[in-house]
Amino acid sequence: MLSRTHYRLKQHHKFEQDDQKYVADLETGDVIQINDVEWEILSRYESQTHHQIVEELKEKYKLTVIFDGIQRLERLGKQGSLLRPAVEVIEQRDADQKPKLLVPFHFTREKTSLDYTMNLNRYQSLTHLAEFAELETLAFPDEEKEDVQDFDQVRVRNISSAKSDTLMSPWYAMDGYDGILLLSQFLTDDLSYYQIPNVPIVHCIEGDQRLQHVLLRTLLTVCAFQGSKDTLVVKASWMKAWLAELGVSVENVQVIPDGIDIVESIDDKALAKQHTAAIFDKSMFVEKPVVGLISGFEPNRGAAWISEFARANPHLAIFVYDAMLEKNYRHPPENVVIFSADDEETRAILPIFLQALDLVCFPAMPGTPLSVVLEAMAYGVSCLVMTKYEMPPEVAGAGVAVAAEWDNFGNFHIPMAKLSETISKWLQPSDARVQCEDFAKEVAQRYTRKNAAQALVQAFVAGGLVPTQQRTERTLFPPIFCHRYEPDKGTLRSSVYRLGTSRYDRLETTLAEVLAERHTPTEVESVFKHFRRDRPTLTDDTTYAGNGFPDSDVKTNPAGQEHQQKGETIYEA
Amino acid sequence: MLGFPKILHQLHLFEEEGVPYAADLDKARVVELSAVMTDILKLAETQTDDAIVETLSASYEEDDISEAFERFAELEREGLLFNRGEDLERSLATESKWRKLLVIIPGIDVDSFFDIETLSAGTNMALAHMITHLTKYADLHFASSRNRKITDGVYEVDIGIRDLVRLRSKIGETYYGILTLHQEREQWLFPLYRYPEFPPILVQNHAPRGHGGQAINSMLRHYAAMRDCDGFTAPSDYVRDFYADYVWDPSFFNTLPNGVDSTLFKPMDKAAAKREVAEGVGDDRIEVVPTIGYLSRVQSEKGASVYLKLAELNPHLIFLIAGPNMGRYASRKLPDNLVYVGFHPREKLPLIYNAFDVYCFMSMSGEETFGLTVLEAMACGIPPIVPNFDGVPSVVGDTGLIADAENFDQDIATFVSYPCPVDFSRKINLLLGNDEMYQELSQMARERAVLFTWDKTASRIVRIFEELHQKRKLANPNRLLNVFAPTQPSEDDEQQELKYRSIVLSMNAHYERCLMRDAVYPLRVEEGLVLSILKEHTTREAEAILAALIPDETQARTTLKRVQGLIDGTA
Repeated sequence: MLSRTHYRLKQHHKFEQDDQKYVADLETGDVIQINDVEWEILSRYESQTHHQIVEELKEKYKLTVIFDGIQRLERLGKQGSLLRPAVEVIEQRDADQKPKLLVPFHFTREKTSLDYTMNLNRYQSLTHLAEFAELETLAFPDEEKEDVQDFDQVRVRNISSAKSDTLMSPWYAMDGYDGILLLSQFLTDDLSYYQIPNVPIVHCIEGDQRLQHVLLRTLLTVCAFQGSKDTLVVKASWMKAWLAELGVSVENVQVIPDGIDIVESIDDKALAKQHTAAIFDKSMFVEKPVVGLISGFEPNRGAAWISEFARANPHLAIFVYDAMLEKNYRHPPENVVIFSADDEETRAILPIFLQALDLVCFPAMPGTPLSVVLEAMAYGVSCLVMTKYEMPPEVAGAGVAVAAEWDNFGNFHIPMAKLSETISKWLQPSDARVQCEDFAKEVAQRYTRKNAAQALVQAFVAGGLVPTQQRTERTLFPPIFCHRYEPDKGTLRSSVYRLGTSRYDRLETTLAEVLAERHTPTEVESVFKHFRRDRPTLTDDTTYAGNGFPDSDVKTNPAGQEHQQKGETIYEA
Repeated sequence: MLGFPKILHQLHLFEEEGVPYAADLDKARVVELSAVMTDILKLAETQTDDAIVETLSASYEEDDISEAFERFAELEREGLLFNRGEDLERSLATESKWRKLLVIIPGIDVDSFFDIETLSAGTNMALAHMITHLTKYADLHFASSRNRKITDGVYEVDIGIRDLVRLRSKIGETYYGILTLHQEREQWLFPLYRYPEFPPILVQNHAPRGHGGQAINSMLRHYAAMRDCDGFTAPSDYVRDFYADYVWDPSFFNTLPNGVDSTLFKPMDKAAAKREVAEGVGDDRIEVVPTIGYLSRVQSEKGASVYLKLAELNPHLIFLIAGPNMGRYASRKLPDNLVYVGFHPREKLPLIYNAFDVYCFMSMSGEETFGLTVLEAMACGIPPIVPNFDGVPSVVGDTGLIADAENFDQDIATFVSYPCPVDFSRKINLLLGNDEMYQELSQMARERAVLFTWDKTASRIVRIFEELHQKRKLANPNRLLNVFAPTQPSEDDEQQELKYRSIVLSMNAHYERCLMRDAVYPLRVEEGLVLSILKEHTTREAEAILAALIPDETQARTTLKRVQGLIDGTA
């Protein structure tokens, strides 16, 4: 990751002598020889952002030369010359001003890999987001081609760049955005945006059934890349619970279910059932209680489970919503129809089926589209959740839960007898069911697209308020990791030598410190856990800065010896 | 008074917010001035103290002028503003087109290198020879506190240890390399390793162990911290092999054998030599009885005690000792056949060697790596007998005899070996009892010794610097980005072991793509760790970390190589 430290120029004087360029640091008294590009960077450093500096100089110098120049100067700053680390000032944002968000459009390439509902949700989400934020995307048109036009709510910022310009979009994202909204599920290019310092990123990851096989990996990768300002948005509470179960820190994971559009309810279940029966040419929808199954199963296991479920409940008419099985499950049991919304037309009739339901069942697992469940609930359908965790808060009070098991490999298990019994019982008219149905209707109405968009914007605002972690200032003498010969044992082991204090230090402590300069605490944790070592706890600086005894003293000074032993860990243990 | 006119350093005078400053480019320092100081500086190179006072008295108070003089005196003591010593055409002399080497050996008077008589320690003597011959290949600038021409191509330059880091750009432009000597407790060298501007730094390393492991540890620290384009010299392949047990990359140790002046050290009329020594000490047994020689400081670590035992075991031979004095042995009752022949100036040494029939080298010291005297004796055609210990047998080759020695795996109070007196004794008698073998070895010893020339040593140094320059050109920035993450659980039990992974991004720090296709490549945590460490630390430091974290060393070494390959391949 990029260094996230900012620097300010100290009082200095630039001059040329004998064709050489120099800068004098008037505070430390150092005179530093600099090259042409560093000279120009210094002239701009105080008043311009890195981005502006590079944009101005890129005609004249190679990009890498400019970047290296900036890096060299900032390295000097780290060592105490010329630049001073600046304390970050959190800018107070004007409440009325819309945040300007960058929405890279890589995700549009994924259109064919994802299901229709998900693409629709994304489109709707952007449309509603445009009410609260200014949305912009980047385009890099070729010289011959015309600029890409704005589409819908998203403005296109055309970047004219020479063909030889190898700079990628993240660089341009550094300039002028309050946040970056990432929607891509494949992470192909999106991860590079995480290198940008100080811009909060909200990354939405769908529980798409088709991408289930890579979903966990995607989530874990995004978690790894996140900084303290960033938010990973998942669309259902069980996704977050899943990550927590895997031991991932979910501090920056937020659940924002997709909002739903409520169409006029026909408010006549019997009519809806008739329509459904007619459309599928199956009279069971008027003859039997209608149970919806919003499925997110792994397809092969899902097909098997659905037949088992259908056989165990022959008295039910089962409407399955499954984006994968609709095409692939050729001969489902008699009492089952499988449907999914694949285009505008099929999407338009879904509400009819949802209104025909007496109960909506769903496994609370990755792949299950919560938005379809919520939509059914919005029509006053109570729900039955097959869940591994507690009752998902999104549907709490709107139905019953049956404990289920599923694992990371798509296996799903639920005691079928218990499930069937619970369903039969629930379908009996009761006050509880009526209450739940009313509540379902009420609670689902809260999941509007507008609310979802507002929650997203809120994640950006909250991210912007989190101060970037101030790295502890590194000492002027970085630690030297080296082998150390122990004459008393005749063995060699690894240690750390500190120049300033001329003593050896604990390897783990120093390694954690060095890694923390570039990596998040979670990442550092991962490294130590991998090697099955406890990450050293740093209570305060004094625990490891210590009062160092020079190396030679350690040999003769008993106090020194004790100190040294305390400071080191013996790995053989 | 200051003694104006003075030669000024290369200065740049400027004002910032009304305050006058002088940037001293020779010292890379800025000095705050006052108005009067600025005016004095303008006159400093042409006028005397009095003239300056007179010129300026019209515009300044006398007190101000004398205060300025005091301040200048302080600055001069710090080595600022004014040239110290001779005017070497802007101190970093550029009169010659030769490659210039900066020699930094704190604590040793430069003159002593050019007056070998003043040196007694073998290390310094070797260094002096090396330096003298090096002048044939490069100009030598000794970092010191004044400017002075010592001889053609050899200068002292006013570059203090503390100036080095600040002057790095200038040093990088001016010098082809920095030659220095590994000294155990020194710290000044470490900061230099951090700057790419410096030319290659070659650290002469003479003692591989000793001082209770401290010599090794100091060397290990340098090994870890130095840049890829820096290196050590080691006096023999043995030393290089010795380090191979401690480090993963012994290529940082470049063998640099010592030499011998074979025109000075040469076979002479043996009878005459013996006669002269016999007359010198008044002992005519030397002329008639076979003689064994010892030339060193008379100290136990140099094997003096063992030598005494040899004398006791062999009453039929004369054992000669040449050294500064008899040290603690002076007060002992010495065997009758042991004769101290005194301490002799260098030009007399060939005569002393020639008075020996056999040369015994018995050092047991952990600091012995080469044995310069062995080579000198060989050059004089004296077959040596040396213990089978450290680098010495490699000097002798098959031109002398190797006696048994008990070698210790760790040094004990600087002793790392005990040469076996019985075997030494046996070998001495074997050699003296077989004239044919003696003659053959004597001739071979001379032939072998003449191969070791100081000129070769010096040219080898230049060649090592050339190699280091090549390495420097190949140094790569490490721009790859990686993050650490928990990995996806797997059904495979073995995979389950790997709970974490590292991910390398195909974008580098400048948002340029440098790997094909996907943005993310999963790596093992070990590899990611090395990638991160190599951002600010050396490969040798990563080596130390991997050695601590990965129990299997082969696996650890492969990991390091693999990541280094990736960095080299993408840079």
